[in-house]
Amino acid sequence: MSLLLCRQERVNRPYFMEALGVHLYSSQELSYVIYNHPLLVMDGFVDGLLLKFLREELNQGVLVAKLERILKNKDNTDDALTIILQECDYYNSAEVSRFRKMVAMLRKKNPLDFKRMKADELFSLRQYGRAVELYKEILDCPGNVRVDPKFIGTVKNNLGSCYARMFRLDKALEAFEAAYEATGQIQVLKRMYNLSQLDERLVLSDKLKGKITEEMKREWDNNLEKAKEKAAQSEAVQKLEELFRKDPVKRQAGEAALLRQWKQEYRHMAVD
Amino acid sequence: MDGLVVGIDLCDEYTQVNCPEKEEAWTIPTVICRNRNADEWYVGEEAYAHTLKGDGIIVDKLVNLALRDGTATLGDVRYEGKELLRLFLEQVVCFPKTEYKEKQIRQVVFAVKKMEPKLNALLRECAVKMGVGEKRIQVVSHSEAYIYYILNQKREIWNNTVGMFDLSEAGLRYYEMKVQRGMKKTTVVAEYEELEEGFNLDILDTASGGRLADKILCSCAERLMARKSYSAVFLTGKGFLKWDWAAEFMKLLCSKRRVYMEQGLFAKGAACKAVECLQEEDAFPFTCICEGRLRTTVSMNVLHRGQENPVTVACAGDTWYGRVSVIDVIPDHQDRIDFIMTPLDSKKKKTVSIPLEGFPKRLDRTMKVQIQVVFLDEKTMEVTLTDRGFGELFPATNIQIRQEVML
Repeated sequence: MSLLLCRQERVNRPYFMEALGVHLYSSQELSYVIYNHPLLVMDGFVDGLLLKFLREELNQGVLVAKLERILKNKDNTDDALTIILQECDYYNSAEVSRFRKMVAMLRKKNPLDFKRMKADELFSLRQYGRAVELYKEILDCPGNVRVDPKFIGTVKNNLGSCYARMFRLDKALEAFEAAYEATGQIQVLKRMYNLSQLDERLVLSDKLKGKITEEMKREWDNNLEKAKEKAAQSEAVQKLEELFRKDPVKRQAGEAALLRQWKQEYRHMAVD
Repeated sequence: MDGLVVGIDLCDEYTQVNCPEKEEAWTIPTVICRNRNADEWYVGEEAYAHTLKGDGIIVDKLVNLALRDGTATLGDVRYEGKELLRLFLEQVVCFPKTEYKEKQIRQVVFAVKKMEPKLNALLRECAVKMGVGEKRIQVVSHSEAYIYYILNQKREIWNNTVGMFDLSEAGLRYYEMKVQRGMKKTTVVAEYEELEEGFNLDILDTASGGRLADKILCSCAERLMARKSYSAVFLTGKGFLKWDWAAEFMKLLCSKRRVYMEQGLFAKGAACKAVECLQEEDAFPFTCICEGRLRTTVSMNVLHRGQENPVTVACAGDTWYGRVSVIDVIPDHQDRIDFIMTPLDSKKKKTVSIPLEGFPKRLDRTMKVQIQVVFLDEKTMEVTLTDRGFGELFPATNIQIRQEVML
């Protein structure tokens, strides 16, 4: 138990962390991102822009000199991340050591596995556009035919989930179909069925329809109804309804703000 | 560098002015008078004279008037208290300016009976309007002026306890100063006691009144000075302008002690402080603990490079008024902020914890807490804790906790 003293860092131009879609304003935030999202920072993160931020905004001239040496000698760039963590003093030496081991372990992963893990992380951060790009790269990789079909099936399923979250339901259905073909998982079939229930323009093939029993339908319909009810009770929907109960003139500002927020969120999640 | 260096002891009853190295101290009643027929202002005795003559309107208790945002109508014009105070001070500094042929004020130090942030701000405002640079103005308490005066005397005067009686129209005060030599900077502690036995100076005009006053002072001295070793005792204030009424008191004081009569002591102390202000920073080798200054060091333990180190929020001897300390910290597995209070007597060291109640629950080390510390007086610290979030990763809620802590 203790307190960390924050450095006096007067940042005028924050560093934009593209993979997360956030601006970083301090050495602590930078350390946090590196430590918690190693997959997102292991390739090409330490570049000229980051060095400029460290030098000009965080006043970390000595650190930048060390990093430049690593980049110039084309040494292990993972060391650069470790040095940043050490110099920023946000994590203790045991944690930095743990980070170093974790990065080393990730480096040993199969490149396709590594890419999938990175895409999955982006998915968990609601960065669906960026995740789609990575999933597609895996699927387009010439060597993937030799990979376990289950792996490819999972990637296709995750790709479908990304599209579904971006409301691109037709593409989602297409990806799920491919995933089902590769894995034959009932859960994937269920997702396709749900999509067809949400958008009547999406029609399942007769072959797929044939796989769905009446009992399955009843259960999935029931689940979907429950999910809809739950969504209707959610705080966001309640707020929306409250907004629309207001006088049309008065609610204009609220509507505009909400729309702006949705647009921003969508852009953030769908950007690739 | 040219310019007047001046110490001003400003009280509601009188004002005294002194310049360093000069024995002369002007004593002026704190009154101002405006001529009924012209835009002319008089202060002190001249103000009384014009009022008696009938061609002037007088205002007294100028400090109090300015402090309570009062006004006074002189002729047809309504003046704010602070404006009258400024006019008064402008007239007052004319005495040394004329005497020492100086046009500008290089450094001014005001000594006041009771240190209040508002009075500090008022006097600074007045002095700025008088053309004194913001950094060349200081306001200190009588206790601090007393310290500076004594420390500017020969060492044998202050190598032990120094006592002082200040007998004025406002009452009777007993001051005591001690120099504590330690491992670090030498600390000087000055305290005072407002004595209930204070009396109206008019009683000194009669023989019986004088005898009564003598008895009162004797009893005070016996009570306050018993079993203490003094290197010197000072007597100041209008009451000691004459001392023929205090025969017994003098006899008591003068036994094995040096006793000094000193008028204008606070103004002289303020002038000594003014000289000190012109020296390089930290040239003064003493830490002063007195009215207007903190008696307790406030610190926090923070982690740096894996080691806990104390960070000082405010140090004993720092002025408490107008002081704002802001520190940003990130709690690490901790849901409270701990302050360590170290008074002069370090055995009484204590820790005060302020829980971060009502702050959002977040992952560990993802909440920047801004700690703002101000002092309401010498004994009260006001702490404001604000959730500053963790950048865009965990946006700030700006939820605040405000708590007063007794030092």
